Amino acid sequence: MFCAWPCWRAGPRRRTPVSRPQRSRINHSYTVVIILILLLLVAGSQISDRFLTWRNFSTLFQQMVVLSIASLGQTVVILTGGIDLAIGQLVGSCTVLLANMLDWRPDLLVPAILLLLVFGAGVGLLNGALIVGLRHNPLIVTLGTASALLGATLLYSKVPSGSVPDEMQDMAYGDIFGLPIPAVATLVVFLLCGIWLRYTRSGRAIYFVGGSAESARLNGISVGRVLLYAYAFSGLCSAIAAFFLTARTGIGDPRIGAALTLSSITPVVVGGTTLTGGRGGVIGTLLGAFLVSLLNNLLNYMNVSSFYQWVVQGLIIIAAVGLLGRRNR
Amino acid sequence: MAAASNSPPSASAPQRDTARLLHRYGLLAVLAILLVVASIASPAFLQPRNIQDILTQAAPLGMVVLGQTFVILVRGLDLSVASLMATVAVLATAFRATADYMILPIFLAAILFATLVGLVNGWLVAKRHISPFLATLAVMIILQGVRFAYTGGQPISTLPPGIAVLATGTILGVPINLCVLLVLAVIFGFLLLRTRFGRQVYMVGGNPKAARLVGIPADRITIACYVICSILSGIGGLFLLGYVGTVSNWVGQGYELDSIVAAVIGGVALSGGRGSIVGALLGVLVLLVVSNLVLLLGLPIEAQLIVKGVIVIGASAFYGTQTR
Repeated sequence: MFCAWPCWRAGPRRRTPVSRPQRSRINHSYTVVIILILLLLVAGSQISDRFLTWRNFSTLFQQMVVLSIASLGQTVVILTGGIDLAIGQLVGSCTVLLANMLDWRPDLLVPAILLLLVFGAGVGLLNGALIVGLRHNPLIVTLGTASALLGATLLYSKVPSGSVPDEMQDMAYGDIFGLPIPAVATLVVFLLCGIWLRYTRSGRAIYFVGGSAESARLNGISVGRVLLYAYAFSGLCSAIAAFFLTARTGIGDPRIGAALTLSSITPVVVGGTTLTGGRGGVIGTLLGAFLVSLLNNLLNYMNVSSFYQWVVQGLIIIAAVGLLGRRNR
Repeated sequence: MAAASNSPPSASAPQRDTARLLHRYGLLAVLAILLVVASIASPAFLQPRNIQDILTQAAPLGMVVLGQTFVILVRGLDLSVASLMATVAVLATAFRATADYMILPIFLAAILFATLVGLVNGWLVAKRHISPFLATLAVMIILQGVRFAYTGGQPISTLPPGIAVLATGTILGVPINLCVLLVLAVIFGFLLLRTRFGRQVYMVGGNPKAARLVGIPADRITIACYVICSILSGIGGLFLLGYVGTVSNWVGQGYELDSIVAAVIGGVALSGGRGSIVGALLGVLVLLVVSNLVLLLGLPIEAQLIVKGVIVIGASAFYGTQTR
């Protein structure tokens, strides 16, 4: 395909004039999140002896994996300037699908996981196709798919159903090279996504489309295809998140993801990705997810009721976006 | 207006007229077709009792949609409405009142509280320039936390009986809450169509920059829209509370999205500056008639969700092609 912009080629070209100013801006917002994380770590070590232990952190990583991977999908969609409100429901539906396919049988693990990933990416692709095809607000379209998914899933099973083999539970609680498997998986997925966004054509196109769809189009980028990629990737992330969620809970619950739709947005904005698209990145989301999980973990140690944890979460959003700087407007 | 000026010059005039007619009256046609289909498909549909039920259910949602319309007109979005409804409901039970004369103070307290929440929403959006989605999302979560912390998650049902009467009773066969909704719709319709404030709302939504340049206090208009939305949701919350009977901490759950969906079905553009109150209320009716029809046809209640999803996507397809 003809490419109007020479620096647009894939490859490790980090010092292009396009990405430089962006990075310095993002680094600034990372600092705030990192300082907050350090503050929480210090506060936590004062509050409880058990806070700064390996045991606590491996539990933290086990809980964090679902949120961080779901937020990763949300990040990519938000980078294009859209939003995916189907994530939570897709995760819920995926857990039902997976748990019911497996039903204690370890021999089905590989085909079931493959089918799950295809299903997730397929629903994401459908979202993307509807948004591109109907040229309407992603918020409304993904809301529609979420509603339809919930209905379809409840038709299949109203109560939590299915079960998973023990091998899969090991994936949620086990270690690899002395590190918790969920933590390793999170890092790998984030690394792959980071490489995709930074070093490949389609990944960079996501930033371009989010920055200005019109100029991206004028530069010969197929905006529709980029949006399809982004939403399909989000669906894929939901499927991966659903895998770890099912592995931990051991059952498929159609409503388990309901809260995830909105909470998947918090790490993204805390990590400095703007809702208008085009600015931000996966490292911020990882830090944001860690900050949110750490805070919830700490509040648990302080015996603060989960009701106040909601209040804190809301305050974080407002603080991250509105009060810490002018970057996220 | 904007639809016509944006359409490509190659489109011939009669085509454009058809499109505009479709855009303006398409929803009425859809509603009419739905009513005919419903009355043919199920004899129970046209029973006065059933119609009354639909309208009684429609009223609280209609109030929220009225408010949501104002916010969407200024390019906003209010996700905190449902959480506010439930919080107002909790506030109402906090009076521990059993006598009917307490209804007035309850309403006043609810409106006062809602005004406060609306001011916060509006301030975050207009003055701090946080995207409406995030600002109202944060307020929604905070309200939810405060409410649960207060009730401890337990349902409460100490209420003056009058509230239930207001929410479920009828005058001459017309549900009282529907009358209230109509009065509110007339008041706010007048505000939107016949006053300077209303015209400024459309201008701020249509083009905020231009509105500022001609000297419209855009920030104040935006804040006012959020306050109106919160007040109407607060009132809607009290009526819904009367309808449900107990505060379960989740009163109105789903209304934030339903109200946006109804407004979109009714032709209120999420890009701001376009849409009407009548359209939004028709959107509510379409939504509820379809849900009712699904039930009357004996389909499982989950099918409602699927149908709702399809309608939303269909509506966005319709307006997506109409307005570009």
